[in-house]
Amino acid sequence: MATKLVTEKLSAWFGKKQVLKDVSIAFEERQVTALVGPSGCGKSTFIRCLNRMHELNPGARVDGKVFLDGLDIYGMDPMEVRRKIGMVFQKPNPFPNMSISDNVVAGIRLSGDARKSDLDEIVERTLKSVGLYDEVKEDLKRSGASLSGGQQQRLCIARALAMQPEVILMDEPTSSLDPASTSRIEELIRKLKSEITVIIITHNVGQAARISDKTAFLYLGELIEYNDTKAFFESPKSPITERYITGRFG
Amino acid sequence: MNKKSIFFKDSAFKYLVGGASMVVVGFFAMIFVMLAIRSYPSIVNDPLMVFGSTWDVNSGIFGGLPAIMGTLASSAIAVAFAIPISLGMSVFFTEYAPRRVRAALSVVIDIMATIPSVIFGIWGLWIIAPLVKNYVQEPIIGSIGFIPLFSGPAYGLSLFLASLVLTFMIVPIISSLTISLLSSTPAELREAMISLGATRWEVVRHVALPFSKLGIFAAIILALGRALGETMAVTMVIGNSFMWPFSSVSLFSPASTITSKIASELYEAVDMLHVSSLIELGLILLVITLTVNFSARLIITRISRRGATQ
Ligand SMILES: Nc1ncnc2c1ncn2[C@@H]1O[C@H](COP(=O)(O)OP(=O)(O)OP(=O)(O)O)[C@@H](O)[C@H]1O
Ligand SMILES: [Mg+2]
Repeated sequence: MATKLVTEKLSAWFGKKQVLKDVSIAFEERQVTALVGPSGCGKSTFIRCLNRMHELNPGARVDGKVFLDGLDIYGMDPMEVRRKIGMVFQKPNPFPNMSISDNVVAGIRLSGDARKSDLDEIVERTLKSVGLYDEVKEDLKRSGASLSGGQQQRLCIARALAMQPEVILMDEPTSSLDPASTSRIEELIRKLKSEITVIIITHNVGQAARISDKTAFLYLGELIEYNDTKAFFESPKSPITERYITGRFG
Repeated sequence: MNKKSIFFKDSAFKYLVGGASMVVVGFFAMIFVMLAIRSYPSIVNDPLMVFGSTWDVNSGIFGGLPAIMGTLASSAIAVAFAIPISLGMSVFFTEYAPRRVRAALSVVIDIMATIPSVIFGIWGLWIIAPLVKNYVQEPIIGSIGFIPLFSGPAYGLSLFLASLVLTFMIVPIISSLTISLLSSTPAELREAMISLGATRWEVVRHVALPFSKLGIFAAIILALGRALGETMAVTMVIGNSFMWPFSSVSLFSPASTITSKIASELYEAVDMLHVSSLIELGLILLVITLTVNFSARLIITRISRRGATQ
């Protein structure tokens, strides 16, 4: 299986505080990789280094390399990187001043190379792919903020997917949602991997086991263990991992 | 604490707030009634006279249209200048400026907002007037002076200078409010836009400005109110000519405003009709500012309601 995204000795700092230490990991193409670890271990910081968002924090610094299809993203235009590597956040964040359909194509409008008729088609296709179309097709002009939390998060996923990214990063996308919305999104993630490489942070070990092909465990900024999900949960190599998955800390 | 005492506190608070707002409303009504009573003689004398174009104390003709138009024109021009300047400054401040520049700029803005208007008047009179005359009025008159709006001669004191001084006075109002609005744009919305590959400017344009637009509109109205009512600085630099716009429509002509008219004539007016006409102009100014404020309020509630139900 091909690797899509590779980090080499990736380190990150907030000011003087180092929060990621030499993380080297290779993400497989069209697979779901779950990132787990106790709160504050650096998961969010890690994935924000993968789309060059970490460097936007004042005083933040990144060291090491990240390769997308063999090309170092830190040598590329950051906007270009973010168009190829989409992101979904913990809290659903649709643009409140935009309608549902404008939210979906917000990113495409930026690159400015789509015609009106194409946009309508993209809105419909993308909303269908996240299973939201039938729920909102009557009023696509309504504000994105008027949807329920779960619908908002699916809208945000649609907004990221509309860019046709090669990789999608998700930072605890279901942690603010009810169980029904959560399982809809889990189902969606499983479906996504036929086309896209998914990297998802989760605090829910069960969720990692349900949806991911591989699981990585971060602890105090270091990568402790990275393995096929089945093996990761059935026979963890590190005692720290074992303690984490049996819920004895974090 | 039991329920009763909470209730008591709550209702006491309600009465307090209610009472305070009654006092404000009552006070306001008193001003209005006072102005109305004092302008009564002029209103019964000839209700339409105040909208005439001639003001001749000796013949007892008191047409205030030049002052009304001067007020509207100087404020409108000032707001038109101030909007791009303030928005540009605020966007630069919140999105692009390095931290040290930001700190310096915010001090400058705060200080500008506290400068007494008479200081703006002196500064406009001594420093800006000659500069404007030499570097703005003369070149413009020299090149496109055939257009009546920009025709000569280049007096320093003019409607244009007054508008410019007003601009400097209201830029800090709009900017400081706009800066706090832009910087309170939720980080998660900015990040959402950045994660889609937006440039800094695109984040401003598609997230920060739409998020702040109602507040910016309110800030502009606040500034407009300030410009409409500004007296001291305007009286010092506008040239107090009561001909504009009837002798010359040029922005570079001396002109007058309602406030400058009242400030420069009220203390020496003896004739009752003269005094009463000046007060009536004051009443008109009050009506103008109230209209501006109420329509702004109406627009804001309309828009925010539409935003909520959409
Ligand atoms: N803006 C910031 N400035 C300074 N330190 C920060 C900042 N954001 C995060 N940190 C620190 O960096 C470390 C890693 O944070 P990060 O958000 O990556 O953790 P996380 O694994 O995502 O945690 P969680 O599971 O709670 O989301 C933490 O110790 C945190 O305190
Ligand atoms: Mg996190």
